[in-house]
Amino acid sequence: MKQHLGRQSGVQQVEVSLLNGKVDITPKNDGQIEPAQLLKATYDSGVSVAEMDITATGMIVKDTSGALSLLVKPNQAFVIVPNETSHMLEAVAGTETQVTIRGQLYQKPPGKKKVQPELPLKLTILGVQKQE
Amino acid sequence: MNRKIFVLLVLLSTLVGQAQVKHVEMRVEGMT
Repeated sequence: MKQHLGRQSGVQQVEVSLLNGKVDITPKNDGQIEPAQLLKATYDSGVSVAEMDITATGMIVKDTSGALSLLVKPNQAFVIVPNETSHMLEAVAGTETQVTIRGQLYQKPPGKKKVQPELPLKLTILGVQKQE
Repeated sequence: MNRKIFVLLVLLSTLVGQAQVKHVEMRVEGMT
Protein backbone atom coordinates (compact mmCIF):
# COMPACT_ATOMS: atom_id res chain seq x y z
CA MET A 1 0.00 0.00 0.00
CA LYS A 2 2.85 2.39 0.85
CA GLN A 3 4.38 1.90 -2.61
CA HIS A 4 0.94 2.19 -4.23
CA LEU A 5 0.33 5.54 -2.51
CA GLY A 6 3.86 6.76 -3.11
CA ARG A 7 3.31 6.43 -6.86
CA GLN A 8 0.30 8.77 -6.85
CA SER A 9 0.81 12.24 -8.28
CA GLY A 10 1.63 14.96 -5.78
CA VAL A 11 2.75 12.56 -3.05
CA GLN A 12 6.12 13.31 -1.48
CA GLN A 13 6.20 10.95 1.47
CA VAL A 14 4.07 8.18 2.95
CA GLU A 15 4.45 6.96 6.51
CA VAL A 16 2.54 3.91 7.68
CA SER A 17 2.10 2.83 11.28
CA LEU A 18 1.24 -0.86 11.47
CA LEU A 19 0.37 -0.54 15.16
CA ASN A 20 -2.65 1.73 14.83
CA GLY A 21 -3.29 1.65 11.08
CA LYS A 22 -2.44 5.31 10.66
CA VAL A 23 -1.17 6.53 7.30
CA ASP A 24 0.42 9.98 7.04
CA ILE A 25 0.83 11.44 3.59
CA THR A 26 2.97 14.51 2.96
CA PRO A 27 2.11 16.20 -0.34
CA LYS A 28 4.65 17.73 -2.68
CA ASN A 29 4.55 21.50 -3.04
CA ASP A 30 3.30 21.15 -6.64
CA GLY A 31 -0.32 21.00 -5.46
CA GLN A 32 -1.09 17.97 -7.62
CA ILE A 33 -2.31 15.73 -4.82
CA GLU A 34 -5.85 14.41 -5.20
CA PRO A 35 -7.37 12.84 -2.04
CA ALA A 36 -10.00 10.89 -4.03
CA GLN A 37 -7.20 9.19 -5.98
CA LEU A 38 -5.44 8.32 -2.73
CA LEU A 39 -8.62 6.68 -1.43
CA LYS A 40 -8.97 4.68 -4.64
CA ALA A 41 -5.31 3.66 -4.59
CA THR A 42 -5.68 2.45 -1.00
CA TYR A 43 -8.76 0.38 -1.88
CA ASP A 44 -7.00 -0.99 -4.94
CA SER A 45 -4.18 -2.21 -2.72
CA GLY A 46 -6.71 -4.32 -0.80
CA VAL A 47 -6.92 -2.19 2.33
CA SER A 48 -10.12 -0.69 3.73
CA VAL A 49 -10.10 3.02 4.65
CA ALA A 50 -11.90 3.79 7.91
CA GLU A 51 -11.30 7.53 7.86
CA MET A 52 -9.54 10.22 5.85
CA ASP A 53 -8.69 13.67 7.21
CA ILE A 54 -6.94 16.52 5.46
CA THR A 55 -5.41 19.84 6.34
CA ALA A 56 -5.73 22.31 3.49
CA THR A 57 -5.42 26.01 2.82
CA GLY A 58 -7.63 27.86 0.39
CA MET A 59 -10.41 30.38 -0.10
CA ILE A 60 -14.04 29.92 0.85
CA VAL A 61 -16.46 30.30 -2.02
CA LYS A 62 -20.24 30.09 -2.13
CA ASP A 63 -22.14 28.66 -5.10
CA THR A 64 -25.52 29.80 -6.37
CA SER A 65 -27.34 27.37 -4.05
CA GLY A 66 -25.55 28.88 -1.04
CA ALA A 67 -23.30 25.86 -0.43
CA LEU A 68 -19.77 26.66 0.77
CA SER A 69 -16.66 25.13 -0.76
CA LEU A 70 -12.97 25.29 0.06
CA LEU A 71 -11.24 26.34 -3.16
CA VAL A 72 -7.69 25.04 -3.02
CA LYS A 73 -6.77 25.40 -6.70
CA PRO A 74 -8.75 26.62 -9.71
CA ASN A 75 -9.44 22.95 -10.51
CA GLN A 76 -9.67 21.61 -6.96
CA ALA A 77 -12.46 22.43 -4.51
CA PHE A 78 -14.14 20.54 -1.67
CA VAL A 79 -17.82 21.07 -0.92
CA ILE A 80 -18.22 21.80 2.79
CA VAL A 81 -20.78 19.85 4.82
CA PRO A 82 -22.76 22.44 6.84
CA ASN A 83 -22.08 22.29 10.59
CA GLU A 84 -21.50 24.76 13.44
CA THR A 85 -17.92 25.46 12.40
CA SER A 86 -18.73 25.93 8.74
CA HIS A 87 -21.23 28.69 9.61
CA MET A 88 -18.31 30.71 10.99
CA LEU A 89 -16.80 30.71 7.50
CA GLU A 90 -19.82 32.41 5.92
CA ALA A 91 -18.24 35.78 6.73
CA VAL A 92 -15.16 35.13 4.59
CA ALA A 93 -17.00 33.46 1.69
CA GLY A 94 -16.22 35.18 -1.58
CA THR A 95 -13.32 37.18 -0.14
CA GLU A 96 -9.62 36.59 -0.74
CA THR A 97 -9.10 35.47 2.86
CA GLN A 98 -7.03 32.29 3.02
CA VAL A 99 -8.13 29.79 5.64
CA THR A 100 -6.38 26.67 6.81
CA ILE A 101 -8.89 23.98 7.63
CA ARG A 102 -8.65 20.55 9.17
CA GLY A 103 -11.49 18.40 8.01
CA GLN A 104 -12.74 14.93 7.35
CA LEU A 105 -13.25 13.82 3.75
CA TYR A 106 -14.34 10.26 4.37
CA GLN A 107 -15.56 8.05 7.17
CA LYS A 108 -16.57 4.45 6.65
CA PRO A 109 -20.22 3.84 7.52
CA PRO A 110 -20.54 1.82 10.74
CA GLY A 111 -21.06 -1.90 10.53
CA LYS A 112 -20.14 -2.37 6.90
CA LYS A 113 -17.08 -4.32 5.86
CA LYS A 114 -15.77 -2.56 2.77
CA VAL A 115 -17.56 0.31 1.08
CA GLN A 116 -16.44 2.33 -1.92
CA PRO A 117 -16.52 6.04 -0.99
CA GLU A 118 -19.11 8.28 -2.57
CA LEU A 119 -17.63 10.84 -4.94
CA PRO A 120 -17.14 13.76 -4.93
CA LEU A 121 -15.76 13.73 -1.41
CA LYS A 122 -17.32 16.28 0.93
CA LEU A 123 -15.41 18.10 3.63
CA THR A 124 -16.70 18.03 7.21
CA ILE A 125 -14.83 20.76 9.04
CA LEU A 126 -13.19 19.67 12.29
CA GLY A 127 -11.44 22.95 12.94
CA VAL A 128 -10.23 26.20 11.44
CA GLN A 129 -6.54 26.59 12.17
CA LYS A 130 -5.74 29.94 10.60
CA GLN A 131 -7.32 32.83 8.73
CA GLU A 132 -5.19 35.32 6.80
CA MET B 1 13.07 48.69 -10.76
CA ASN B 2 14.09 45.12 -11.53
CA ARG B 3 14.50 44.53 -7.83
CA LYS B 4 10.90 45.69 -7.19
CA ILE B 5 9.57 43.33 -9.85
CA PHE B 6 11.59 40.49 -8.39
CA VAL B 7 10.24 41.16 -4.88
CA LEU B 8 6.69 41.35 -6.28
CA LEU B 9 7.11 38.03 -8.08
CA VAL B 10 8.44 36.37 -4.92
CA LEU B 11 5.48 37.72 -2.93
CA LEU B 12 2.99 36.55 -5.56
CA SER B 13 4.48 33.07 -5.75
CA THR B 14 4.36 32.87 -1.93
CA LEU B 15 0.67 33.80 -1.92
CA VAL B 16 -0.23 31.38 -4.70
CA GLY B 17 1.82 28.64 -3.02
CA GLN B 18 -0.12 28.93 0.23
CA ALA B 19 -3.32 27.42 -1.13
CA GLN B 20 -2.87 23.69 -1.19
CA VAL B 21 -3.57 20.40 0.53
CA LYS B 22 -0.91 20.40 3.23
CA HIS B 23 -1.41 17.04 4.87
CA VAL B 24 -3.49 13.89 4.44
CA GLU B 25 -4.07 11.38 7.20
CA MET B 26 -5.89 8.07 6.90
CA ARG B 27 -6.88 5.34 9.28
CA VAL B 28 -6.97 2.00 7.53
CA GLU B 29 -8.16 -1.50 8.36
CA GLY B 30 -7.08 -4.89 7.11
CA MET B 31 -3.43 -3.99 6.73
CA THR B 32 -0.97 -6.87 7.09
